[in-house]
Amino acid sequence: MTGEFFAFFILAICAIGGAVFMIHFDRVMHMALSLAFTFFAIAGLFFLLDAEFVAVIQILIYAGAVSILMLFGIMLTKHQEKEQTFTRTKLHQWLSFLFALGFLAILMSVIYLAPFTLPAGDQSLYSVNKLAEQLFKSGYVLPFELTSLLLLVALIGSIILAKKEEKE
Amino acid sequence: MDWLFYIIGPILLLGIMLGFVTYAILFERKVIGWIQNRPGPNQVGPWGVFQTVADIFKLLTKEDIVPERADQTLFKIAPIITFVPAFLVLAVIPFTDRIRFADLAVGLLYYMAISSITTMGILVGSWSGNNKYALLGGMRSAAQMISYEIPLVMSVIGVVMSAHTLNLTKIVAAQNEVWFIFPQLIGFVVFLIASIAELNRTPFDLPEAESELVAGYHVEYTGFRFAFFMLTEYAYIFAMASLTTILFLGGWQAPFGWTFLPPLIWFILKFAVIVFLLFWLRGTLPRLRTDQLMEFAWKVLLPLALFNIFLTAVLKEVPWIQTFYR
Repeated sequence: MTGEFFAFFILAICAIGGAVFMIHFDRVMHMALSLAFTFFAIAGLFFLLDAEFVAVIQILIYAGAVSILMLFGIMLTKHQEKEQTFTRTKLHQWLSFLFALGFLAILMSVIYLAPFTLPAGDQSLYSVNKLAEQLFKSGYVLPFELTSLLLLVALIGSIILAKKEEKE
Repeated sequence: MDWLFYIIGPILLLGIMLGFVTYAILFERKVIGWIQNRPGPNQVGPWGVFQTVADIFKLLTKEDIVPERADQTLFKIAPIITFVPAFLVLAVIPFTDRIRFADLAVGLLYYMAISSITTMGILVGSWSGNNKYALLGGMRSAAQMISYEIPLVMSVIGVVMSAHTLNLTKIVAAQNEVWFIFPQLIGFVVFLIASIAELNRTPFDLPEAESELVAGYHVEYTGFRFAFFMLTEYAYIFAMASLTTILFLGGWQAPFGWTFLPPLIWFILKFAVIVFLLFWLRGTLPRLRTDQLMEFAWKVLLPLALFNIFLTAVLKEVPWIQTFYR
């Protein structure tokens, strides 16, 4: 019973709880917020694994940027609006249950088949500088640059599309 | 003793921050009063020292009103979501080489990541109150904070390239010969402007432009919930001034080897200069328009920040000059 175990337990419950509430709530704003909470808990799990860089990026991109973008869109919806509830048939429920069960089975089998026999590596070797070296000095430069180019094209494309709408 | 430091330390830091907020508000009102040729607060206590204390007391004893049509839960959580990140970011700030809490390898990124959560609190607070002026203020605030976060992060890349690290302690250590404000002058100017915009202060205080929007995103808030929003703003001044000191003014390092003052005093002196600069700018400049604000971020600050990155990369390779860039 170490502190790490407790921290993992609390963070895992937070992550799962956020996800469950995200499905359970019927107002979009609440859903988006509980999703952000899940992202935050996952960042905490990364911190627990000594993966500081990934954890911080998780907060920056998911808990910060993606969530705020969602909230920004949702803010313009009606205040008291609730998601339409529709009655599910018995067949629908059974089919959903079967699919969920099947997915769980596949997931568990993959986890059990994975060879986790090696002892954990020394985390202190995986610093930010090492990460950068891996990225830029061992042949991943070209894919990295191409990805950034793709993102730039997407950005400019969205600006052009927005400009077009303005003219009409 | 170490564990004691980690328990008492944060509580002490919270106390220091609250003390700073109390007297920063008084100092700000005094400075602006001085700029505008009026005395400023001078009734409560000698020289108005207890003015802010009285103001806070008033806020805390006010009736707590939650609007009937508001989203009750979110309305109550929003001030917490807004304030908590403002205190969390202080965890990575090294005040001296010994007074610091978490020595993260990615301290700088941590600051940027956590501070972006506050925008979420502001958005939730403005939406949950069910008030159109608050909503407009919240939209403006989110748009502004997202836009200015990009030049803010871009402008410090030059510093990271020179210091070869994201760790704030090591960034200070890299400045023992030349402060980064000199080789990174463009970066410093962009950072300063973007940080004022991030702090939602004049001339970028559009989210709470009282002449257009009543009071901005916190229209519906009263009493201690409102106090939390104000506290967040001043807590961020504390954090941002500390960060500016660390990134560009050499942190706790003494200039010209004047080590007769302890490192903490040097830190406080530099920090105070930045805080004064923020108040000075507020007393001097008028407010921008929304469209001017956005154009300024995307068409002036972002290209400048990119140019600074490019310049740093080029000058790092030029003989003699490169000694200033490492």
